[in-house]
Amino acid sequence: MGLLNSIEKYCHENNVENEAISSFFKSGFPTTKNEEWKYTSLKKVVSEVYQINKEGAEITDEEIKKQSLNIGDKIVFINGFLHKKPNIKGVTIENNFFDNLSFEDPITALNSGLAEHGFKISIDKNVVVESPIEILFLNKYNSNSFVQFRNKIILNENAQVKIVENIQNLSENLCFINNVTEISLSKNSNLELNKLQNYSSSQNTIDTTNVNQQEQSASTINTMLFGGAFTRNNLNFFQNGQNCESNMNGIVILSNNELGDNHTYVDHKKENCESNELYKGIYLEKSKGVFNGKIMVRPDAQKINAFQANNNLLLSENSSINSKPQLEIYADDVKCSHGCTIGQLDEDALFYLRTRGISKEDASAILTFAFAAEAMDKISIEPLAKMVKNLMEDKLGVNLSI
Amino acid sequence: MLKIKNLKAGIEGTEILKGINLEINAGEIHAIMGPNGSGKSTLSAVIAGDENYEVDSGTVHLEGEDLLDLDPDQRAHKGVFLSFQYPVEIPGISVSNFMKAAINEKRKNLGMEPISAKELLDKMREKMDLLNMKKGYLSRNMNEGFSGGEKKRNEIFQMAMLEPKLSILDETDSGLDIDALKIVANGVNKLKNKENATIIITHYQRLLNYIVPDFVHVLHDGKIIKSGGKELALELEAKGYDWVIK
Repeated sequence: MGLLNSIEKYCHENNVENEAISSFFKSGFPTTKNEEWKYTSLKKVVSEVYQINKEGAEITDEEIKKQSLNIGDKIVFINGFLHKKPNIKGVTIENNFFDNLSFEDPITALNSGLAEHGFKISIDKNVVVESPIEILFLNKYNSNSFVQFRNKIILNENAQVKIVENIQNLSENLCFINNVTEISLSKNSNLELNKLQNYSSSQNTIDTTNVNQQEQSASTINTMLFGGAFTRNNLNFFQNGQNCESNMNGIVILSNNELGDNHTYVDHKKENCESNELYKGIYLEKSKGVFNGKIMVRPDAQKINAFQANNNLLLSENSSINSKPQLEIYADDVKCSHGCTIGQLDEDALFYLRTRGISKEDASAILTFAFAAEAMDKISIEPLAKMVKNLMEDKLGVNLSI
Repeated sequence: MLKIKNLKAGIEGTEILKGINLEINAGEIHAIMGPNGSGKSTLSAVIAGDENYEVDSGTVHLEGEDLLDLDPDQRAHKGVFLSFQYPVEIPGISVSNFMKAAINEKRKNLGMEPISAKELLDKMREKMDLLNMKKGYLSRNMNEGFSGGEKKRNEIFQMAMLEPKLSILDETDSGLDIDALKIVANGVNKLKNKENATIIITHYQRLLNYIVPDFVHVLHDGKIIKSGGKELALELEAKGYDWVIK
């Protein structure tokens, strides 16, 4: 029944046979018995009937413009097919017919076994890309669909780029996206990747991002999760050289029955590296959040600074969050700190705002916005920061812009 | 303007105010002095509508209207303003955005259109000049990283922006050096007019050298035990509180 049947049928009809898909079939979709999926049940998501879809779609330029953030060069994918790409000096953009079938978990194995599309961006050595690149995935299927993308971002030595990823489901039909992005950062390169996840209520998403860093490279991944029926983010950093810096920031604002799960992992393998993590979660109505942040410090990884914070606001009696920091430290000369808070709004601050004539409702919204704003400071693309601020204001029902 | 009759209030079952009677007319400045624990801050919190306090009996009327049934924000719309002893830090909200929200809620309540960006900025600049505020102040986050003096000036700035009928300054002089004290006092004096009134709550007489009260009241154990003119403050400064208490 459900998605597993559709996948089996698809593989049978299309003669899909490979090591990855076999590995997936062996374990199937993870259940809540799996520690990594303990609080995030896929049961409902995979019990729906989906097509494994390969069909294209017509989307007008006007619609593309409407969906785009319009903040720089953009790469447009429609139903997984590359539709439009810009010419940027020192940047190679192509459809990713990937050959790397690496997989460690069933979801990545499934992606490795079935994915045919995605993007590959390579930034040449010493190239600093000034204008941000937007990657726009537009999906419009005629039936409930299960789709896979496999992407690659490669920064060669000393390269620098800022990317914004924007995925939208334009159809009322359910769309389940299994997206895997592999990032490779060479020596002294610098990447800022912004994931704008303002998904529609007809979208289920599992998004896996693996960041492999060489010495002196820096990465910043900002995740803005503002909607979507079901979203699971796996964000993994592997520090393979000395003096690496990995930054991850998240803002989660969910409502209705939405579920958002952020799993992060930092593997400190070498000396003199740093990781900074700040996730802020706001859960309204019946929404549900999961945060799992694991920091691994290997025996060789001395003089590490690892900082992690996950702060959550539960704004309804029916919302919930499961937050779990995990530290595994095998080196002795390290500085690691982690903190997790779950709470409501500060009563003193609420009273302060109300004595200024601000209603209880608006005061709550303003303080909620303020709570999340700290994690927004790390977005260095100004028009994007402004857009994110407006989105947050919309979600929280405030208007603070001057 | 403000009439308080036999006000009894407390917190978690402990009575702190034990029958306050106070009448303040428009154009007047009243100082309420008293030793620590006499109920000064409770009085200001109860007038402003802090829900942590329970009112057991008595009335508080502002221009004939009962305040005690109103929410803190509704009281602000009627013209009550409390300058906090410990202003709350709100990281993530700039002073200008905060002011915009407060002004527009007030205007909405009066059936007015939201303030235009230009009008708001002009007004904020004018009030900043009044209080010697530094450039860049408007884009700082509310009270975040502010010095004690900056926090108090920020309170008076909000008071200047909101133009309340009744301002309650709760220990506004605490944490201020003499220069900041003069700036704050000068601001309060300039904002004074025939239509508004001010309550200054203070432990020390110092602030009253710069903001001269029309009346001085001594609060002790939840009651006003002595009232007089501005000379009473000087007497208290010279002799301490003991001679009035016994």
